[in-house]
Amino acid sequence: MALAINELCVNCYACEPLCPNSAIYLARPHFRIDPALCTECLGEYDAPQCAEICPIEAAIIDEAGEALNPPGSLTGIPLQALAAAAAALAGTQAHLPVMGQGAGGAP
Amino acid sequence: MDLPVLTPSTPAASGGCSSSSCGSSAEQMSHLPEDILRRVQDHPCYSEDAHHHFARMHVAVAPACNIQCNYCNRKYDCANESRPGVVSELLTPDQAVKKTLVVASEIPQMSVLGIAGPGDPLANPERTFETFRKVAEYAPDIKLCVSTNGLSLPSVVDELSQYNIDHVTITINCVDPEIGARIYPWIFWNNRRIRGVEGARILIEQQQKGLEMLVERGVLVKVNSVMIPGVNDVHLKEVSRIVKSKGAFLHNVMPLISEPEHGTFYGLTGQRGPTQDELMALQDACAGDMNMMRHCRQCRADAVGLLGEDRGDEFTLEKIEMMTIDYAAAMKRRAVLRADVLAKLDARRSVKASNGLVSLVPAGAAPAPERQTRPVKIAVATAGGGVINQHFGHAREFLVYEASTEGARFISHRKTDLYCAGGDTCGDGESVLQRTIRALEGCEVVLCSKIGFEPWGQLEAAGIQPNGEHAMEPIEEAVMAVYREMAEAGKLAPREMPLRHSA
Ligand code: SF4
Ligand code: SF4
Repeated sequence: MALAINELCVNCYACEPLCPNSAIYLARPHFRIDPALCTECLGEYDAPQCAEICPIEAAIIDEAGEALNPPGSLTGIPLQALAAAAAALAGTQAHLPVMGQGAGGAP
Repeated sequence: MDLPVLTPSTPAASGGCSSSSCGSSAEQMSHLPEDILRRVQDHPCYSEDAHHHFARMHVAVAPACNIQCNYCNRKYDCANESRPGVVSELLTPDQAVKKTLVVASEIPQMSVLGIAGPGDPLANPERTFETFRKVAEYAPDIKLCVSTNGLSLPSVVDELSQYNIDHVTITINCVDPEIGARIYPWIFWNNRRIRGVEGARILIEQQQKGLEMLVERGVLVKVNSVMIPGVNDVHLKEVSRIVKSKGAFLHNVMPLISEPEHGTFYGLTGQRGPTQDELMALQDACAGDMNMMRHCRQCRADAVGLLGEDRGDEFTLEKIEMMTIDYAAAMKRRAVLRADVLAKLDARRSVKASNGLVSLVPAGAAPAPERQTRPVKIAVATAGGGVINQHFGHAREFLVYEASTEGARFISHRKTDLYCAGGDTCGDGESVLQRTIRALEGCEVVLCSKIGFEPWGQLEAAGIQPNGEHAMEPIEEAVMAVYREMAEAGKLAPREMPLRHSA
């Protein structure tokens, strides 16, 4: 069992030094977790460290593709506001984290 | 509030900054110990006078953060240290050191290096401290500074005070956890994400503890606050009082910027930022019992240069890799320039002190009775050097002075891009010129070196008189000259009430 980092990662480095198993490594285009090393922090901490500090919703997922920090859970932005903003920005370059949610299980 | 009184007999040494233009006037600084006054007097960040002559730079070496602020979107740089919506180039400590040394040899005015983001410098202590250590080794004359949200501060204070740290900036938005919970959704603490009031309580505790520890160790502490209308605007007066009583030497209130396109909690939930008038009213209210800094600009985390300029593009990674540096020669050049500027500042101070250059009344004339004329806000376009030397159309920010019978007083920066992140998101295709005019709201005159025909007409139509007659003149003298002209032309009849904040 292991967690994974997806393309929503903004490469903020916050998770990397916290991993008790040095499972997280800098890669392109974003940080990755070595599934062979990740223990989901079981026996080490109450909660997986990477997911505890990651500021980006839905960037860290479990083996089922479920986001450990679902949209709205970290910023508190109401889902409606996120959806409205995403719609308003559709077609422009910028996109909000929530838009990648559909691809949650991709990697 | 009391305005600084420009008495000719004030000896320069008695004030932290005897320039009337300094956001931290001598009067407001008077409670500070002598040694701090001396450290602040010619500091490029704290003395508005010195600000015109020295350059500063920031390097973005610290990517991680340990809290979430409602005005920040972590896809971008820390919103405290950059303007929101900005992404800086992340550097390794070695790259940052090289960049600093290159800049300090190309721009001899360089005197302060800050580590500012893109996350919280103290949430990345190894990267931050390695950068400081190496810069201190090759350029010991460069002052170092660091900004933090304060959460990790107590745990690194001892290490921090080993380096040549000139000052630390702590962003403190509240001292009440209930208010904090409306600003910080969570913090990361002891291996847990802690939300709500409990998280805010820990953050506030650590900030206050860190502030006290730094002051005990003799490190200068500045406090930044983001003014969030309806959340902490009233509360910030209490924050101001408390941080001052604990020994912070300066409190800087910044406006919340919350454009929806930045994707922040505040931006997407319709929380507005303060108007210029609200911001200035709060700054004034806090200034009553606190030193206020009004010339701090939220520059970007990889900003480089003098007041009003950003030469960051000249020093990209690619370009600095190609450059070679002679450390010793560069340091000598900086020392020569510094001595020169300090002598100039000293001279200016004593001239002002002896003949009251910036007062309304020319030396020798009988003083005008108080409150004969109302105060006026005058905007200035400058590219540094303390003189009016920028073309209106090239100015990306303006300095706003308030001229009154008591002299010229610097009150704020107005950024022309503060109101819009650019692109097509800004209102009804508002032009740059219209935005600039909006940024100058409340000013009656704008002084610049030159100005085009079209902006001239539009400014006049907006009730702002453009004026290019004082090109290359020292700012305060020009501001007061214009004020005198307006007074003589009978444009400044006193109103019923002195309207400090009239638009
Ligand atoms: S869950 Fe724990 S072990 Fe796995 S990558 Fe994250 S921090 Fe490392
Ligand atoms: S904390 Fe999250 S966003 Fe930051 S590097 Fe790790 S996975 Fe990416």
